[in-house]
Amino acid sequence: MIPVCRLADLPRGEAFRLDTKPPVVVFHTEDGEFYAIDDTCTHQDASLAEGWLEGCAVECPLHASKFDLRTGQADVPPARLPVRTHQVVIEGETIHLVLSDAVPNLPFAAGRGPVAGGAT
Amino acid sequence: MTTSSRTQSLIATLPGTYYTSPEVFAREQEHIFETSWFCAVRSADLAAPGAFRTVTVGRESVLVARGRDQGVRAFLNVCRHRGARLCTEESGTVRRAFQCPYHAWTYNLQGELIAAPNLTSMADVDRRDYGLGRVQVREWLGYVWVNLAERPGSFEEEVMAAVTARLGDGEAIARYDLAGLETGKRISYDVRANWKLIVENFMECYHCATIHPELTEVLPEFADGFAAQFYVGHGAAFAKEAEGFTVDGSAGLERIPTVAAEQDRRYYAITVRPQVFVNLVPDHVIFHRMYPLAPDRTLVECEWLYLPEVVAQGRDLTRSVELFDRVNRQDFDACERCQPAMSSRGYAGGGVLVPSEHHLAEFHDWVRGRIGE
Repeated sequence: MIPVCRLADLPRGEAFRLDTKPPVVVFHTEDGEFYAIDDTCTHQDASLAEGWLEGCAVECPLHASKFDLRTGQADVPPARLPVRTHQVVIEGETIHLVLSDAVPNLPFAAGRGPVAGGAT
Repeated sequence: MTTSSRTQSLIATLPGTYYTSPEVFAREQEHIFETSWFCAVRSADLAAPGAFRTVTVGRESVLVARGRDQGVRAFLNVCRHRGARLCTEESGTVRRAFQCPYHAWTYNLQGELIAAPNLTSMADVDRRDYGLGRVQVREWLGYVWVNLAERPGSFEEEVMAAVTARLGDGEAIARYDLAGLETGKRISYDVRANWKLIVENFMECYHCATIHPELTEVLPEFADGFAAQFYVGHGAAFAKEAEGFTVDGSAGLERIPTVAAEQDRRYYAITVRPQVFVNLVPDHVIFHRMYPLAPDRTLVECEWLYLPEVVAQGRDLTRSVELFDRVNRQDFDACERCQPAMSSRGYAGGGVLVPSEHHLAEFHDWVRGRIGE
């Protein structure tokens, strides 16, 4: 279990991004629930922490793929593969995470750095 | 260089080349339109958060948008990544953000870069450095004014003072409550003439008796050739037999209640350099914005503004609108008649201004001063 942040640091409607490898994001929904998923959209490398939180879903800021925070499923394309979900544990005033040990569905370029001679 | 005198009565205009030269036009774009307060958008046309308009100001496309905080902001309409035009539409509403259609760089309504493909993998990039270029904004009279200068001049001194100088009183414009009025009619005129011909036409009334029969019926003193813009604080009185400011002198709409007694049954006209003309009558306001597009082409967008209840009730505005619509068409026809002659050898040295037009020389000096002569 890894500590994330204090409860007070994550108001409703906000996201907290952890610089893990791959990065993870914790959302505090408007309804007061906490959910954690992989931060990287499975379609193209983009941070879901910068996306739009709508109920129990987040919309990717780049191409509007929508992921269910409870299951990680990509409910709206162009993303097809799910993001991993992680377990959120609140202890006292601190938010913790139990990270999934499943294999993440990362887009090709995420975290790989520049590719020589790349072309469209 | 100052405009020279031909005789005491006749003084010189600008030479014809000022109305045709791409080089002069480029200098005007840079040193006049990109450095002045430019009236860009009617505020009510950006009603909801995410509503935007793109307007051409000088050589730039400017994106004007209302944010979630209801504030209006303006940006250069250029993606910071590879320079693609961000918004290609003239108007519309985005749900949350502006996204470049090329590589999906995404900016929020404050112009901040919020997402881009692979941006999170570029740890050395501070996305705060890649927001959209900001353009200064002011809202006044129910319009959004923008200024592309790096250090804009004072809005109070450049815009508000021009209105006060014309009306002779800083409070006079407030009595028409322009921000509270609503657009009853909007007409866009694509005029094949240089923007300065349109400004000059609007500033003088020597032509009124010849080309504006309907206007001189309602404002008989205009037949003398001295425009409302010739005297400070002077409003042209309506003809005794005119009930209202309409094409046939019939009654107009409900008077704007805050208009003062001395403003009633009078017509006031204001030029705010470089591209705004305003006409004030007791029951409505006619507001013109010019968008110079080429040496010989100017788009003029004109709104007729009335009390909100007049517009909401769907009242018949036809006779009210038709008066100044006819005046506009008569004026723009005249400007289009001049434009081809501006390149004639017969006009190479320019023409002359009669005494009732002498105040135009001050406009010519202003243009010359701004473009560095």
